[in-house]
Amino acid sequence: MDLRIFIVKRLLLMLLTLLVLMTITFILFRIAPGDPVASMVSASLNPGARESLTRSFGLDKPMHIQYLLYLKNFLRGDMGQSFYYRLPVTQVLRPKLVNTLVLVGPATLIALIMGVLLGALTAARRAGKLDLFGTVIPLAIKAVPPFWTSMIALLIFSYRLDWFPSAGLRSPGHAADPILEKLLNADFFHHLALPLTILTLHFLAQPLLTMRNSMLDVQGEDFVEMARAKGIGERRVIYHHWIRNALLPVASIAPLMIGAIVGGQVLVETVFSWPGLGREMVSAINGYDYPVAQASFLIIGAVMIGMNLVADIAYAVLDPRVRLE
Amino acid sequence: MALLEISNLQVRYKTKRGQVRAVDGISFQVEEGQNVGLIGESGCGKTTVVKSVLRLLPRTAENEGIVSFEGRDLLTLERSELDKIRWKGIALVPQSAMNALNPVIRIGDQIVEAIQAHEPTTRKSARERAAELFELVGLDEQRLNEHPHQFSGGMKQRAVIAMALALDPKLVIADEPTTGLDVLVQDQILRQIEEIHRRLNVSVLFVTHDIGIVAETCQRIAVMYAGKIAEYADARPLFERPYHPYTLGLMKAYPSVRGSKRELVSIPGSPPDLVVRFSGCGFAPRCPFARDICHQEAPEMVETESGNWAACHRVGDMDQLRKEAGKAVTWTQMAANQL
Amino acid sequence: MEVQPGHERRRSPHHTLLRGLRSLFKAISGQLNIVGTSRLGRLGLAGLVFFIALGVFAAYLAPYGPYEHVVYPDGKPATLEPPSRAHPAGTTLMSHDVLSQLIWGTRRTLVIALAASFSSIFIGTNIGLAAGYFGGRTDNILMRITDVAFGIPFLPFAMVALMTLGTEDIILIAVMTSVGWRTPARIIRSQVLTLRERPFVSVAESLGASSGRILYRHIAPNILPLAFITTILFVGESALVEASVSFLGFGNPESISWGQMLFYCFASQRMRVAWWWSVTPGLAIMLLVLSVFFVGRTYEEVVNPRLREW
Repeated sequence: MDLRIFIVKRLLLMLLTLLVLMTITFILFRIAPGDPVASMVSASLNPGARESLTRSFGLDKPMHIQYLLYLKNFLRGDMGQSFYYRLPVTQVLRPKLVNTLVLVGPATLIALIMGVLLGALTAARRAGKLDLFGTVIPLAIKAVPPFWTSMIALLIFSYRLDWFPSAGLRSPGHAADPILEKLLNADFFHHLALPLTILTLHFLAQPLLTMRNSMLDVQGEDFVEMARAKGIGERRVIYHHWIRNALLPVASIAPLMIGAIVGGQVLVETVFSWPGLGREMVSAINGYDYPVAQASFLIIGAVMIGMNLVADIAYAVLDPRVRLE
Repeated sequence: MALLEISNLQVRYKTKRGQVRAVDGISFQVEEGQNVGLIGESGCGKTTVVKSVLRLLPRTAENEGIVSFEGRDLLTLERSELDKIRWKGIALVPQSAMNALNPVIRIGDQIVEAIQAHEPTTRKSARERAAELFELVGLDEQRLNEHPHQFSGGMKQRAVIAMALALDPKLVIADEPTTGLDVLVQDQILRQIEEIHRRLNVSVLFVTHDIGIVAETCQRIAVMYAGKIAEYADARPLFERPYHPYTLGLMKAYPSVRGSKRELVSIPGSPPDLVVRFSGCGFAPRCPFARDICHQEAPEMVETESGNWAACHRVGDMDQLRKEAGKAVTWTQMAANQL
Repeated sequence: MEVQPGHERRRSPHHTLLRGLRSLFKAISGQLNIVGTSRLGRLGLAGLVFFIALGVFAAYLAPYGPYEHVVYPDGKPATLEPPSRAHPAGTTLMSHDVLSQLIWGTRRTLVIALAASFSSIFIGTNIGLAAGYFGGRTDNILMRITDVAFGIPFLPFAMVALMTLGTEDIILIAVMTSVGWRTPARIIRSQVLTLRERPFVSVAESLGASSGRILYRHIAPNILPLAFITTILFVGESALVEASVSFLGFGNPESISWGQMLFYCFASQRMRVAWWWSVTPGLAIMLLVLSVFFVGRTYEEVVNPRLREW
């Protein structure tokens, strides 16, 4: 099958997934405690404002109309008004999304690159079945939840050694406004270092282990031997045949990795009080701020679905056999 | 000077159970333009010989002896020098072409890669060369752009043969080139290799368990058993007057590809465990003609006819033994005795 | 095609169930024997046995109740006491004994992890069986549903679901299952696809066996080892998930688990002073999950070297 057809099919699947996700959200929030109006409109607003919001979300209409209106509003980017902030949800969540992305983006990239490299390296070294960097450390990381590693890191590097700040994104009074200045200063990096390190460690464990294994598997394959017999030079054998094929299983576990990324992000943000989407969602749920909870859930889901799409396409590019399915 | 000269090659693998003496001091030659067959059952060490010629053995293997190609010892050659000889001097048609092609790279690119590693040509002319090769083996040049999973087993085998011929090598090692293919395709592939041998004057070292293949394609044959050469002779005398009971057994055990009618009898028992050191002849436990001495002393290679050699204590009685080996009962009785 | 129960000779349903249970037990103990062949596997098994014993005999092993306020001899509450002879793992801000909470927590952690794993694997295996065996449109539909399930962000989904449905254990298990089936469905399906090509399937088909019979009598027993290993690995995964959900405050406040201990510790903002409170439950999680990994690894090495996780 053509790669283009494959991509179109995956795009359609992605849209379907989004629809399912939105439907699940709609149902879950409709069965939340309280009446449906309560799930979208704050009880503390004055009656006039309540009524206009109720009408704009069609909360006085039958369920199926409500559902269609809900889809329409969300697609237009209207996600309601936060009970807590008294502001449109989009306005509340936009900076949170940016904060999340500056943490999760670099962590994912670094983890992927380092995981693959370390996996390849430790496999090539063949330091026995159990070596420190190839298996022991990544396994230990995989065996603990990210929030615990975060707590321990805080305990050691923040409370005991006092090397890094324990919470937030910048020190009080360090409120620069333009986004570039916001993100490109020493104070911000100082705050970023610890959560970024923890997230990176958690994200890299699985690709490292998978890469290491698949390196060892591919090593014995006939086509690697054949490439060597062709006299194309060891460097080319390693990069074009060995590592290239060892990457396939890493691409195939992407859905697992992406799941870990989303979960890890929420937990690490919570422990480090990082004002991102995940932490906002936790506090919105605990504070019954339904519109914010609902919107942040959908945004996280949409980002995750997008990541899955990218991973799918990457896999299909790497392995022509995948496009057949 | 022979094109390829192997002398006293020994290969040992280190395993958990101990040392495996996979190849135990073998010698044979391939002259320029000559086809040589290296035959034996699976596990006799023939693939190990192939791998040590091209230095593809895993790191757990140790080898000794000399593998000389055009006068240069491949076992001690520098890696960069060796890479120049690989494919340009010696090309390989590997066991199971199924897995010999990289599944994620277009077949054409895998051929171009080999050409460009050895010759300073443009990608375009390497590509044209690949198209010629595909025509030579009877594949459509359009298929150069396809991936291995789009090829059938026989087509993959042809593609691998095309790849082996990419640089006009002096020697092609064909390691079980027809294993896993159905009989019709096997026949086509063999004809193809023969034709290529005639047209390009390339030497082929056939490595196979199928004595029928080498009967028609090779001028000289080395029979391998348990890491050693059992018999080494010109093809015609070997088939007319074998001097080793193992060769006799092989002839009874395999049907010919071209379907001559013979009564098939398999050699009783199985090859010896190469971890255990044995003092006598490796074949003695399965040999219907073994005497006491066969179990105690390893036989030396003796010249049977001019230029032909066999390693058997009973070379002198062979006229008699050949008659007995012709009867199926000799082998079946041996099998019965073993039970 | 419709799935029909295999046409058994007349036998009471009770008997069939017993027989089925016995063969299941036999199969599992056979699988465990495989694991015992390596040192790593034995280490993992020992770990699992240790935690299971801890959970089962919590009432006898724990010196105090999970929410019992412990006091000094003079009657004052023992608050945030560092590890001592009386409290080997220290006490909490609410003067609970950390070691006792840990032992009680083992039970709930294990029960939830085991229940969620079994139900996920049960559903996932059946979906994978059906998709792989029937192929065609059935396969296509089931696998697209699986793809969609892979688009659900698990932890956020669990948070929303527990918020709206309540935090009882049974709901937590149901929520974990509702997403957890997706991984085994994919794994089992690809295994069934290879098994389907085996001669014994076509032999059974030509003998006129119903598809239900072929599926559950001929194919299912062959995927049992794979389902077993997936279950084992899922137990570790589920323990981590349970801890995370509880840590975020969505645990059942009436019982205790390792994740909840960490939630209380973090929420009390006494991490800085009471290291024992945060370190101990985390170590327990690590040991349990590592035991699972070791068993899984050994087992995979023997049964299916191609499907290793590490």
